[in-house]
Amino acid sequence: MKLLTRTFGMPVVERWFPILVLLDPGRLAPAAWAALATGLAAGWAGYFALQWPLWSITLTVLLALLPVGILKWRNDLRRFGPTAMLLSIILMAQGAHTIEHITQWVQYYLLYLPARQSNGLLSAANAEWVHFVWNWGVLLVVALLIHGGMRNGWAWLLLAVATAHTLEHTYLFIRYQQVLNELASAGVFTVTAQGLPGVLGRDGWLARSEWTQGTFLCTLPGLTTANRLDVHFWWNVIEMTLLLAAGSVYIRGHAAGPGTRRITR
Amino acid sequence: MMMVRRIFSLIGPAVLLAACAGQPLAAPPAIAVEHPIAVSVTPVQLAHDTACENRFVAHRLGVATGVRMREITTYASNGAGLAAGDLDDDGDLDLVFASIDREATILWNEGRLAFAAEPLDAFFTRAVNIVDVDGDSLPDIVFTHRGIEVPSYWRNQGSAATGRFLRQPLDGVDRFAYAMAWGDLNGDNQLDMVSGSYEVELRSHGVAQEQIQVQAGVTVFTQQDGRFSAQQLTSRAETLAVALVDLDGDGRRDIWAGNDFALRDDVWLQRDGAWLAAHPFRQTSHSTMSIDWGDLENDGRVELFSTDMNPGTIAPAILAAWLPVISALEEKHGPDDPQIMANVLQAPGAGGWRNEAAWRGIDATGWSWSAKFGDLDNDGFLDLYVVNGMIAENLFRHLPGGELVEENRAFRNHGDGRFAPMPQWNLGSPASGRGMLLADLDNDGDLDVIVNNLRSNAQLFENRLCGGTGLEVDLFWPGSGNSRAIGAQLELHTSAGVLRRDVRVASGYLAGEPPRVHFGIPHGAELITLVIHYPDGMTAVVDRPARQTLLQVTR
Repeated sequence: MKLLTRTFGMPVVERWFPILVLLDPGRLAPAAWAALATGLAAGWAGYFALQWPLWSITLTVLLALLPVGILKWRNDLRRFGPTAMLLSIILMAQGAHTIEHITQWVQYYLLYLPARQSNGLLSAANAEWVHFVWNWGVLLVVALLIHGGMRNGWAWLLLAVATAHTLEHTYLFIRYQQVLNELASAGVFTVTAQGLPGVLGRDGWLARSEWTQGTFLCTLPGLTTANRLDVHFWWNVIEMTLLLAAGSVYIRGHAAGPGTRRITR
Repeated sequence: MMMVRRIFSLIGPAVLLAACAGQPLAAPPAIAVEHPIAVSVTPVQLAHDTACENRFVAHRLGVATGVRMREITTYASNGAGLAAGDLDDDGDLDLVFASIDREATILWNEGRLAFAAEPLDAFFTRAVNIVDVDGDSLPDIVFTHRGIEVPSYWRNQGSAATGRFLRQPLDGVDRFAYAMAWGDLNGDNQLDMVSGSYEVELRSHGVAQEQIQVQAGVTVFTQQDGRFSAQQLTSRAETLAVALVDLDGDGRRDIWAGNDFALRDDVWLQRDGAWLAAHPFRQTSHSTMSIDWGDLENDGRVELFSTDMNPGTIAPAILAAWLPVISALEEKHGPDDPQIMANVLQAPGAGGWRNEAAWRGIDATGWSWSAKFGDLDNDGFLDLYVVNGMIAENLFRHLPGGELVEENRAFRNHGDGRFAPMPQWNLGSPASGRGMLLADLDNDGDLDVIVNNLRSNAQLFENRLCGGTGLEVDLFWPGSGNSRAIGAQLELHTSAGVLRRDVRVASGYLAGEPPRVHFGIPHGAELITLVIHYPDGMTAVVDRPARQTLLQVTR
């Protein structure tokens, strides 16, 4: 069996998906499970005792997992170097981010919550400034990864997509501030400007621009018709896919390349 | 007077297509028709438009609704409608304005855009239709009302001497109604009515749920010998617009009730004399406020348009004005819910109706009420005009006067179904428009625009665009219960293509359509034949109609 599952010194699964090497918690797995259990227990206790909302429970779980994550990333740094560590961090962060988008999608399309209530697990973080900071952070990390050696076609594509996504959130953030200012000047302080359309999707800049209306752009599925939840779900799916592809290629090359630390167990 | 020849079903559609291909023809081609009939045609020369300024000129009319109310709140905020028709048979289209806070007003058209106002004792009215209810060839007036009153019927006596309009009971019409439409639905040459009620307003007037169950909803009133029999299609309705239009291509009028709020629009298809509930649309407007239809590309396919609330521009100031309200009105959604908070343009295709409003540039026009297609620039293609605005102290407390000020919007049809905003047409009035219609009030061959504004004077926008010329058609069918051939389909075959219109009583929002059909004729196009498909299946053909005329066609 071992002969079947291991070739070239690497399990078959990890040969096809070398990124798993980086995601494997290894010796920290028990600690990770324990942290998860502790976080969930504390979260549910907060829910039953203090009526914590879902986002508080989620935050408790994430905080419980954070020390294990830090240990994992320290190990990654020691074993594989700073670029791989950075890749490990962003993979986990974006993975959690993906779960958040999937949750929002489930809330909207399966539970039929209104768009403004389809906020995912960490609803308190569904704020325009958080998205803005997050996406600039992701873009910075992708740039650092490329600078650190993760140079392949997927990575450059990822950089382009992350840049576009970040520009969209920058546009959203600026408009968010503008609308808040307008609301304040009208004496309205109880209404949020969160959730406005951005560049893409229904009522977005592209849909409303006279330069694009009536062009083929408006016939592409969803580009000018998708709602915001879908637009950002797909932004994330694309980014995550590209990140996995770029990371896999990098790690495979890193494992085989001369003068680099081997990323194998 | 010129007689019209009858052509029999000898020559196939290929000849028809050849005639439309763009080549001027020496002799009118034979159009294959079934069930041909003779009609007499009286052409009346329309005035030549000398005041060509490439814009509309606004005129303030001496009618206003909502000005007597100290404060406008929902649902007075929905305003009132208007209708056009030649009430005194002098050749000029007169206007009737409904009013939410006072009596209705007739504006008698005295020619040259001069009007004489006459109050009508119909109070607190919503929609108004001008329709020959009793088939005596005199146009009558029917109103729906605010609150708890059933539609009122004002019968045309034919003479001004003793008061032209006399209120009479509409026998058998005993349901609350907000929107209505008329047409011969069962093919007996008598006009039937479909009405839809506005439940939220009934409740606000204290109408009990038990009474709503019985006396509200969407109802078909079938006329037989002057009496109407009611068939309630649904007891649940928040209907702002009713359209009688063929949705399944079987040549029969179906019913589309456009509902406000999260209540889905209702559609019933006519099947073997019964009404079958259907869901033909993949997307609909969320709060459907107006319905209109037309052949936008002159390709024989009818597109349907409904309006909704969606900011016309995405400037921060506009979004901030909307947000406190729109965040509370967030679109609900559930399994297979087709509603989106946007205007919807239903275009027919192989897979059924498809929403093309975004692609065509008309999905967001503001807090939009009435929207109507009409060839405003006489280039042969239907343009679009949409009236906007909202006044409600209880919703827009953050805005001065509780008013969301939004300009009306005009769009020019590119000819391929796409639309371009036309602010240069000078139709961007900031008054809070509700009911609106397009009609040639000065008999110069182009469509003028009339808007019943809430809390300010009604407006007439005189068409001074520099387009082509016009052809207008009045159908008369004396002796029939449907004296104006409501439901007739008209095809004008020209060297530039085939233009299609239908005769209707109502469309848009709370608006009554004049039965006079308007075609815009582009420069250089040759008029070949006018084909009239009557609602009873008979067909008449008028050869070589002259441009810039009003054809009075009598069957």
